[in-house]
Parts: sequence; structure tokens; C-alpha cells
Amino acid sequence: MPPDLPLSRRRFLARSSWALIGVTLAPSLAACTGQGKDSEAAAKAKRLVISSWPLYIDPGTKDDPGSVERFSKQTGIDVTYKEDINDPLAFFSRIQPDLAAGKRLPQDIIVPTYWVAQRLIDLDWVDPLPLSQIPNAANLLPSLDKPSWDPSGRFSLPWQTGITGIAYNIEATGRELRSVDDLFDPAFRGKVGFLTEMRDTIGLLMLADGQDPAKPSFRSAEGAFNRLEQAKADGQIRAFTGNDYQDDLLAGNFAACVAWSGDVAQLSLEQPKLRFVVPESGGIRFADVMVMPKGAPHRDAAAAWMNFVYDPVNAARIAAAVNYISPVRGVAEILARDPATAAMARNPLMFPDAAMERRLTKFGPLSPEEESRFDARFAAITGG
Amino acid sequence: MSRLVLRCCLLLGYGLLFAPIAVIVLFSFNDPAGRFNLVWRQPTAANWLDPLSDPGLTGAFITSLLLALAASAVATVLGSLMAYALVRYRCRGERVVNLLLVLLLTTPEVVMGVSLLNLFVQLGVQRGLGTLLVSHSLFCLSFVALTVKARLGGIDWNLEDAAMDLGARPGRVFRLITLPRILPGVLAAALLSFSLSLDDVIVSSFTAGEAVTFPLYIAGAFQREISPQIHVLATMVLVASVAMLAAGSLRQLGVSSRFRAPASFARGSGSSG
Amino acid sequence: MPALPRSPGARRWAPYALLAPGLLWMALFFLLPLAALVRMSLSEQTQRFSLDAMFTGRVANYTEVLVQYGPVLWRSLAFAGVATLLCGLIGYPMAYAISRQGGRWQPLLLGLVVVPFFTSYLVRTIAWTTLLADQGPVLALLSWLGLVSPLERLGLVVEGRILNTAAAVIGGLTYNGLPFMVLPLVVSLEKIDPRLLEAAADLHARGGRTFRRVIWPLSLPGLLAGVLLTFIPAAGDLVNAQYLGGPGNRMIGNSLQNLLLVQNRYPAAAALGVVLMVMLSLLLVLSLGKLDRDSLTGP
Repeated sequence: MPPDLPLSRRRFLARSSWALIGVTLAPSLAACTGQGKDSEAAAKAKRLVISSWPLYIDPGTKDDPGSVERFSKQTGIDVTYKEDINDPLAFFSRIQPDLAAGKRLPQDIIVPTYWVAQRLIDLDWVDPLPLSQIPNAANLLPSLDKPSWDPSGRFSLPWQTGITGIAYNIEATGRELRSVDDLFDPAFRGKVGFLTEMRDTIGLLMLADGQDPAKPSFRSAEGAFNRLEQAKADGQIRAFTGNDYQDDLLAGNFAACVAWSGDVAQLSLEQPKLRFVVPESGGIRFADVMVMPKGAPHRDAAAAWMNFVYDPVNAARIAAAVNYISPVRGVAEILARDPATAAMARNPLMFPDAAMERRLTKFGPLSPEEESRFDARFAAITGG
Repeated sequence: MSRLVLRCCLLLGYGLLFAPIAVIVLFSFNDPAGRFNLVWRQPTAANWLDPLSDPGLTGAFITSLLLALAASAVATVLGSLMAYALVRYRCRGERVVNLLLVLLLTTPEVVMGVSLLNLFVQLGVQRGLGTLLVSHSLFCLSFVALTVKARLGGIDWNLEDAAMDLGARPGRVFRLITLPRILPGVLAAALLSFSLSLDDVIVSSFTAGEAVTFPLYIAGAFQREISPQIHVLATMVLVASVAMLAAGSLRQLGVSSRFRAPASFARGSGSSG
Repeated sequence: MPALPRSPGARRWAPYALLAPGLLWMALFFLLPLAALVRMSLSEQTQRFSLDAMFTGRVANYTEVLVQYGPVLWRSLAFAGVATLLCGLIGYPMAYAISRQGGRWQPLLLGLVVVPFFTSYLVRTIAWTTLLADQGPVLALLSWLGLVSPLERLGLVVEGRILNTAAAVIGGLTYNGLPFMVLPLVVSLEKIDPRLLEAAADLHARGGRTFRRVIWPLSLPGLLAGVLLTFIPAAGDLVNAQYLGGPGNRMIGNSLQNLLLVQNRYPAAAALGVVLMVMLSLLLVLSLGKLDRDSLTGP
């Protein structure tokens, strides 16, 4: 082996490492000084830390600031709004060790999915909300008062709710879709996606099977599981996805998939061929809800935030940006007044009328033993 | 093996290696219609003019750089000391140490992640930058130790011994003789660690807690929004490393090739055609 | 390792002092976690979401995961095996060409093997999803060449797609393993004494014979290092299956993640982790004697 060869290669590697450090350090130093200023200010001001889902709030523009900024200006509370929940279970696993050990989370408000919220409430890992400081909570839609995941209504307030249904690309399917059966049409073999979110996928299939997801049991879900398993064996199902079904819909890998209403409404702005339908057998109504993890340090600020977003005017801005179903009364009327948003006020996917409400079912609570069985069975099919 | 077949294999291999790279570079110039930079629309330079427009991405990128810096520093110091000890001294348990290092090197990332998560959870350690640093420095450690060891193995240490025998103070010997010889290997190992840490996703996904690194941010972004800035930052890292590679090769082709004449000659005559 | 003269006294403790910090680090964060993992794998969870597990020596954790995840385990080993084979088939000629015919371009060629890996693993994998998408360039090229239906017969294209198939996962694993195959092989091939080749030429051995009798056997330790460095990470990978695979192509890494993060079955996850670790380290220990250890870390 020529001894000088690796040496010189090493030398260039060594140099490159320093150059790399140089290139990358400059912006990071700049950013650090910026962050330093922020945290100094934060130490003096009142604070609030929120973890939520991405693209779930009005981002605002320079001339027209978003909700977070307007709230900060109004109250003087410094808000850290993190969009770091991508998956309900991954999020639960992230916070679980600290909460189980009785430690405080950095967040004052988290926005888990309803059934994760129920789990947190059952485990006594959340604080009751300071509802006396949230007068606007009275604006909560009656249909969401004291829901199955929080029977006392003391621990949670919905952030947004939505509908699980079917999204499809009309160009790829060549026809309108109407029912869950369409997902099993051999013509779409290998072009169909289901959600890794067990309650949405199985709930939709249970409805098609004539079962009631509001009162789920392992036996009543058996037909749904079997159908899913068979479809996977047949090669009908291309993938089980989280929110990334959007990537596959846009790239043309999915012709149709189980999807969430607001996502598709947002996506269809960039891909007009995308449609969303609540299947004939019915859709699943889900909710993401605000809860305060045990020992959240900034209770007053959290209450102020919840009161702010339950003001119908503020709620209308958020709803107009995210296209989901607002849990706040009076939002439709506000949107209807503005010609730019009037069409939304008539959209049954954002403001379900009585006929639509009848077609939607909330997936009911599962006992811990049943949940384990559901999860294990579902994992065996999705190949987790 | 015939020359032509070999050339084809080279072409195929490099084609494979660079196919996704071409996509990344190309899509850094894409102007996506919406949130997902996955389908080609039209070229634009806007992404390059505003590479830091995504604050979450920029923050994660900086976190990753600082983490990689810290983790490779820890791993380089600990690993180099081990390598030096293994090469320069004979001691009991040497074989065990070597075996441990190789075992650590080849432990699947997922096992390392699971075992560290389990440990941190059992001990009630809050996961975050600290646990990331520990886990990254750990998987870098064996790379450093083994790389440096391989480099040091080829060095003639007589000079160091001679200086010692002549009564030179150990500090002086280290500074003047030892350090210059081990430094290239150590720096190469540091760079390797840096890139390993910057790239890690599997171990981090278990040990990050609330912290968000560049790869973890991208994993999250895949769920909602793939901004072209991701491609821009990835391309920037790539360009920086290619530039350094080119500089290094030019230097080698020019200056040091003179010293390599015998070796090249031997290689030329030894090729079996 | 060179045998060095040892002076007695102060230098006797020196190696231990130098080894101590690194060994301590490994003891705390490698051995201790592994021990805790073994302990957890023999424990029972007290409550579903509690992290306290009671050590009860429950061996059934192992039999349960082996029954439930046995097929996935075998699939992972098979995928990793095929990927390693492909890496060898592409990587050996590459390494051979680089080391024997690289000439003055050798450093550049070596660098080009590593350069793609300076961009993020995930970004590269996402780029593959773009390349392999149903309306992506790879399928377009294949159909232009008229290769889609022959490849479909070989099972490389399923239902007119490549993305979300076993072939895509194996391809991704091959892609990520290739440099780890090439680099140790280059080291190993570089080490071959040119005089041996000259001697072979003097004895009028032809190229093929020289290769078979001299080069191939002498490169085997490097090949073995490459095989280990490709196979082990591939067998434990979860990223490729997640982004490039379908529901039928999940690997053991995905199962581990699912057990831990979705099902919260800590003892089962620990047991599966221990099984994987034991299998792969057995492989390593068995091949250690024949291995070119220096080449493990590349040139």
C-alpha cells in the first residue's frame, strides 16, 4: 500500500471538515444571537408554550398577522407555538416517559387527538382547565359538549374537528367515488391507501360493514379487520400512511385513499382534480382537542389563549385557513358576511348540516384490554 | 476482467449513487405549486435566494450542526485516546476492547436506539439535546477509535521512542512528534463522525425527546410540507463537500503525485487488464 | 500491531488511563443499556402505559415475539442478504476498477463514492420516491425501453409500479450499502503486494487466472468486512421499508419501532431487540477471525 496516498486523502478530508464547519457555523452563530435576544425578552414577559399539528392555524402575512401574533400583541404573552405533532401515537410516546414519571412537560397546551386525550385523562396526566377564566367556552357547539372522550367536559376543549372520508383523484379513478366499496375496486389495485390511524381506517370499514364504531368491540370490528387483511393480501392496498398520503395523492401514486376533510380542501387548491367524499355508509367524525398537561406552569396564559381562540371572530379566521370544522358557534355566520369566505360557510364539510351530521359517527372509547387487541391486530395487518 | 466491463460497472455504480443527488439538486430549483416539492413544475432561483425562509427547518439544521460538532468532538477525543493506547501499548484486555469496539460499530442502529431509550426512561432522564449528544457520540466513538487505530498502525514510532530515550520531555515529544503524525487521522475521523451525526435518523428518533434535528424535521415535514429549502440546504452541504473533495484531489494530482511515482508505477504494471 | 519495547514504570498505567474515558463511555451508554434491555426483555409491564416493568424472568416474551415476528425477521434477513449480494456484484468491480485502474484519478473516484452520503439520508430516500413514483422518470424510461412487462414477469415491477414494492426496498438498501462495500474492498485490494502480480505475470499466468488465484483470495477479508458493513445495517434498517416499501415489505426495524412507539409493549420490543442483536453479533464474532479489521473503517 502506498503509504502517502491515504495520508493525503486524509489531509483533504481534514481540510474539508474545517471548511464545512466554517461554512455552516456562520449562519448558526447569527441565529444564536437572535435567539438569545428572544429568550431574554421571554424571561421577563408572560409565556405560553403550545404543541400542535402542522398547518392547523392561520399563519398570517406581514400586513395581516396570524392568530399567534395578534394574541401576543393583545395580551403581551410570549407564545411559542410548535407544530411538532405529526402522529398521535408517536407524540404520546414522546411525552409518556415524563408524564409517567410525574415530570412537567415544557408545554402548557397540547392538542392531541380525542382518543389520546381520553387516555391522558384516564391516566390522570392532565389538569382540569380553568374554565372560569374561559368565558368564551360557552361558545362551544352543543354537539361537542361533554363528549365521550371527556364525559365531564372539564379537561378538554376541541381545537378543530373534521371528517374522515375518501379522497380521490378523478383523473386516476376515471369516475366519481361514492362508497367504501370503491376502495376495493380491482381497477384501483395497488393504487389505494389507508391511514395508519386505526380508528379512522377501521371505523370507516365498520360503517361499511353495518357496525357502529360509536360502540366498538373487537367482535364488531372483526369484519372490518378481515376485509382489510384480505385487501392487503390481494395487493389492493399500496401503503398505510399518516398525513403523507398527501404526497402520494399529489405524485399520482394513489388513485384513492382514506383521508381527512380539511387536508383535501387545502390540497385541492393546488391539485383541482382531487375530490373528497363522505362515503354512503357514513364518515368518521374526529376531533383534536386542547388539554393542559399536568403541572403546566402558565395556567393563566393558557386560559387566555383558549378564550381568544373561542372568540367567534378569531375562530372564523382559523377555520378559514385550515378548512376543518370549527367547534365554535357563530363562525359560519361570520364567514358568510365576507364575500371572500361566503362559499366556505355553505360547505357541508366545514359546517355539516343536520343531514351531514347524521352520516357522521364518532369512534367510541375502547377499554384498555380491547385497545391492546385492536392495536395488535391492526399492527399485524399494517406490518408495523 | 476486461477494461470495458469495468468501465461499465463504474458508470453504473456512480450513476446509481448520484441519481437521487441529481433529483435533490434539480428540485432545489423547482417552483412547486403548493406545499409539496415532489413534482417538477418550473425552474426558479427563488429558493436559493431565500434558503432560510423556513424557520423550523433552519432551526433544526442549526441544532444538527451544533450537535454534530459536539458529538464528533466528544467521540474524537475519547476514540483517539483509545486508538493511541491500543496501538502504542500492550495491555491486558486488549482483545476485549477491540471486540467491544467492533461490536459497537456493527450494532444495528435500531437496537442502539431502543436500548438507550429504555435506559433513559428507566433512569428518568429527560430526553433532549443531552441524550442526543450521548447517543451520537456513542455511535461515532467506535468509528473514530477504529479509523484512528488503522491510521496509527501504519506509523513508524521509533522517532518518538528515540526522542524519549534522549530525554526529551513528554509534553515536547507529544507536541513536536506525536501530534503532527496522528492529527490527519484524527481529523479524518472527526469529519466522519460529523457527517454520521448530521445524518442520523434512526437512533435520534428514539433519543431526541423534544429536540428536533435536521433529519427528524424532514421526517415530520414529509407528513405535511416539503419545502424546496430542504433541497437547497441538502445541496449546499453537498456542494461544500464536493468543493473540498475537488480541492483535495487537485492538490493531490499536482503536488503529491511526485511523491507517489513509485506507487503509481507499481499499480500501473500490476494491473491485470 | 507493532511489538514495541516497553519501558517499565510510569508507562505501565498509561494505556489504561488513555482507555478509561472511552471505556467508561461505552460501559455507561452501550453495555449498561444492553444489560437493561436484556432485563426489560425478561420483565412484565405492571400497567399498560406505565414504564415500570417488573423483572419476572418471563421467557415467554421471547417465544411470543418470535412467533409473531418470525416471518418479518426472516424477511429482513432475506432483504439484507439480497441487498448485500447486489452490493457485492456492483461494488466489487467498482472497487477493483478504482484500485487497479484509478491511476491519478483514484482519490477523486474514491471521494465520489462518499460524496452522495454527505447529503441527508432521508432527503436521498425521499428523492428515490420521486424517481420511482408511478409517473416518475424511472418507470417512464423503462416503459420507453419496453422493459416494464419483462421486469413485471421477474417481479421487479408489481402492478406497473416500483415504489412500495420489495424491489424498491431492496434497491434502497443496496444504494445505502454500496459505499460500505466499496471502501473496505479498495483497502483490501490496495494492500495486495504488486510483486505478487508481477510474479504471476512472469509465470505467464493470464489475467483471469491471476485474478482467481491471487487477487480474489487476497481480497476476501475486505469483502467480508464489506459484507458485514452492508448486511448488518441493512438488516436493522427501517427507513427504506417505511418510505419505499408497501404494507407487505416491512422490516424488523419497523416492527421494533411499532412495538415501542405504537403498541407500547416495552418487554416485547426489548426481546425483539435482543434477538436481533444476538443474531447479528453472532454473525460478527464468527467472521471476526477472517476479517480485515483495518478495512472496516474504509480508506
